[in-house]
Amino acid sequence: MSHYWGATVEMAQARPISDDMGLLSVSYNFRLMPGDCALIRSRDVQRTALFADLCSGMIPLRSGTLRCMGLEWSKLNERRSWALRGRIGRVAQSGSWIDLFDTHMNILMPQLHHTRSPTDELIARATQLSANFGLPGLPVLPPSRLGALDLRRAALVRAFLGEPDLLLLEEPVGTDNPDLMSAFLAALTRARDAGTAVIWFARDEVVWQPYRDQATHCLRLLDEGLFPMRGTP
Amino acid sequence: MSAIAAGGRDFLRWLGGATRRQLRFTLMLVGAGWGVLKEAARPNSWRRTVRLEFREALRQATGGGLISTLFVAALTGFGIVAQAVYWLNIVGMAQTTDSLLATVLVREIAPVLVGVILLGRTGMLGLTQTGMLTLGGQMRALQSEGIDPFLMFVMPRTLAMTVSSFSLGILFSAVSLSVGYIVCWVESIETMPIWTFLYDVVCAMDPIDYLGIPLKFLFSGFFVSLSCCLTGMDATQDDSVATLLPRGFARGILVLMIINVALTVGVA
Repeated sequence: MSHYWGATVEMAQARPISDDMGLLSVSYNFRLMPGDCALIRSRDVQRTALFADLCSGMIPLRSGTLRCMGLEWSKLNERRSWALRGRIGRVAQSGSWIDLFDTHMNILMPQLHHTRSPTDELIARATQLSANFGLPGLPVLPPSRLGALDLRRAALVRAFLGEPDLLLLEEPVGTDNPDLMSAFLAALTRARDAGTAVIWFARDEVVWQPYRDQATHCLRLLDEGLFPMRGTP
Repeated sequence: MSAIAAGGRDFLRWLGGATRRQLRFTLMLVGAGWGVLKEAARPNSWRRTVRLEFREALRQATGGGLISTLFVAALTGFGIVAQAVYWLNIVGMAQTTDSLLATVLVREIAPVLVGVILLGRTGMLGLTQTGMLTLGGQMRALQSEGIDPFLMFVMPRTLAMTVSSFSLGILFSAVSLSVGYIVCWVESIETMPIWTFLYDVVCAMDPIDYLGIPLKFLFSGFFVSLSCCLTGMDATQDDSVATLLPRGFARGILVLMIINVALTVGVA
């Protein structure tokens, strides 16, 4: 865990250059401190993914500033940008599994790439997390041979592994599996207690209803930008 | 007058656009080649994931191409070496056999055939994999995890294929010469020991060949792999495997030929 205690994500009049991709070039103002949790409702899957990309510094800005852990994405060189992205855990809606590698390699890859933690230690931590999320162990089958629910569990293991500073969770859980939801909320609480900032995207706010009181922001992501929801804590 | 000026501008625009389009891939190849060397020189680039990918690519390229290389080398030995020795003996030019084999087989044919084997067996596989990852959005997912696809795929695969090309090239030369000798020995055309035969071929090589031949093997593997990886990563939404494979194969063959001709002319 890093020792940076300023805002984890800070957007000030940030206008992305992405008119043709589904995220309108409007100004975003948003600030997320360590341990904060923003619940963002977005009905458009593509827009959600692009907003998560924006937070990861993958979309250039037309104007304004976008900082992550105090570092401005536009001023970082390539190697530092890759390294900073390594501190972000993400559950993506699509395209996140590489069929060239088995699921356990997909899970371990970010940590193997960015850290020097011993491989055995990483495997032990991933196995423990897998058990927490209801998997019988660290899944070793190719991702294409896992069911949708197990893939969702594996995605959560990958996102939480390595104690990231920021979690970008695109529809991480549904309402159909209470056990997974409990495990997810427990992991989320632990991560926030350790200082991880969380952005939880969902299409329907029913999903996060049990957790809404604990969130620090409740927002809607629309074409026109980010807006607070009624009853925001 | 203004119509002529406008026509001139249109022509220049068309010429500039066409030149840029034609040179784009070549410039990408040169830039990426430099990038591979630069990244490979940094110890920090050799992370666990990159080392794993390098090992896997080396196993795939060398192990996967070994049987094909041995088979083609045996056929080449049978078809070219034995025939050359036989016919040169018949026409009374046996003393030129060694230099002919060194020039034709080791310097010219071996790099091309090994390059084609690697292109077909490993390069096309790499192209399909990187192309599918690009088209499926997984490359972007890797980027969002902070993993540079260039570092993860292009650098280790290119270096693995460079090593593989050199190893298989040397093996190809040795096996084809040996098989050719064995055929001639069985037919009683050649009576000297195999070591003398191989030694004579090696001695018939020019000193510059000791630079040119390894360079051909190394550059062939390096640029064939690079062109395949870049073709896959350069895929657009309009592409599919059906469009990528022919493009990658044509580029690979072109790269192979250019390297061989350039080194033959430049180093000879």
